[in-house]
Amino acid sequence: MTSFLSPTVIQSVGITPIEIALFVFILITAVLTALFRDVLAAIVIFAAYSLGLAVVYTFYRAPDVGLTEAAIGAGVTTVFLLLTIAKTTRPPTDELFEPINWPAVAVCGFFALVVGSTLTAFPAVGDPNSPILTNPEVTGYYLENAYDETGAKNAVTSVLAAYRGFDTFGEAVVVFAAGIASLLVLGREVFTA
Amino acid sequence: MSDDPTGQPDERFDGRVDTDGVARQRPVYTESQVIMTTVKAVIPFVMTYGLFITFHGADTPGGGFQGGAIIASVVLMIAFAFGIESTRAWLANSTVVGLGTAGVFLFGAIGFGPILLGENFLEYTAYYPVFGDLLGLKEYEFVKYGMEVVEIVGIAFIVSGILMGLFFALAAGDSHSEPSEADLREGDLRDGADSATLGGESDD
Repeated sequence: MTSFLSPTVIQSVGITPIEIALFVFILITAVLTALFRDVLAAIVIFAAYSLGLAVVYTFYRAPDVGLTEAAIGAGVTTVFLLLTIAKTTRPPTDELFEPINWPAVAVCGFFALVVGSTLTAFPAVGDPNSPILTNPEVTGYYLENAYDETGAKNAVTSVLAAYRGFDTFGEAVVVFAAGIASLLVLGREVFTA
Repeated sequence: MSDDPTGQPDERFDGRVDTDGVARQRPVYTESQVIMTTVKAVIPFVMTYGLFITFHGADTPGGGFQGGAIIASVVLMIAFAFGIESTRAWLANSTVVGLGTAGVFLFGAIGFGPILLGENFLEYTAYYPVFGDLLGLKEYEFVKYGMEVVEIVGIAFIVSGILMGLFFALAAGDSHSEPSEADLREGDLRDGADSATLGGESDD
């Protein structure tokens, strides 16, 4: 566990050609999702975008997040979106792409610039001098004591279900509330027959 | 529950383009031997993977949230292969609601139990003086198995139940809206959804 997360391993990661390819893939799929005129095509490309994100998370040693993104983002969300367009009608068109709304592009571009300007404040990927590695009071505590205190080899699970269990309880109740809210909004009393 | 969800193409919709070309709609459900056979073959493996992710979440990546989503996707696949309405008739509402509420209730009970025993929220070791001798577990094992119960019975139940429920709620659509012209043209599709709702209400 500790060797898997040791600074030397993280330092050696760097930016590889595979990661660059993944980033380009994610950028292209994100832009195409916005541009495609056909909603079905946009949903399929959005699923590809989620899958690309899941692979990136896995690359950055966050397999728990990657698994969630693949199951929820690429899987369940795509099914829900497909279900939604199956119940709607769309005007027929021969155009492949949506006409570009330039004021919207300007607003989004400005927002991206503002957010992007904070990027320089982040440490480089795998930087051994990043605060999380030089000052590991919290993360170090979890990595050192999680197994002894909880008996779970996956430190993420021990944080989610034990150390930060109150947060997880809130999240679980939010999921439950989403189900109830959907019934309220749709004016139904039952999910199935 | 006794109904076999196979062979009921009751939601078939021909996806026609209107004569004036104003609107088009894809079929909601197309019965396909390829999809049905593939889903039948894949389901045992997906279900096993979902259960593995859930039960093994303490030692490998995953946990109740991811595993619950994969388990729910089994029902979503069945619905896509055999039709949403026939799957809706096959899956009891009490199962879906029961999964969600049982998850919240058990997570809450395990979380608030230690407060009644004078400890903090979700302090698993608070159960040790009470159940230690009865269950024959050591103090640290209460944390381990308490986490397993929260992950499996709590989170996985909630997520799988609610995702299944959201799917069927979205598929049924809004019950407030009056049927429009387009809805009346697609009478066979709307009738299936509406009768399912009415039947479910009296079933409660």
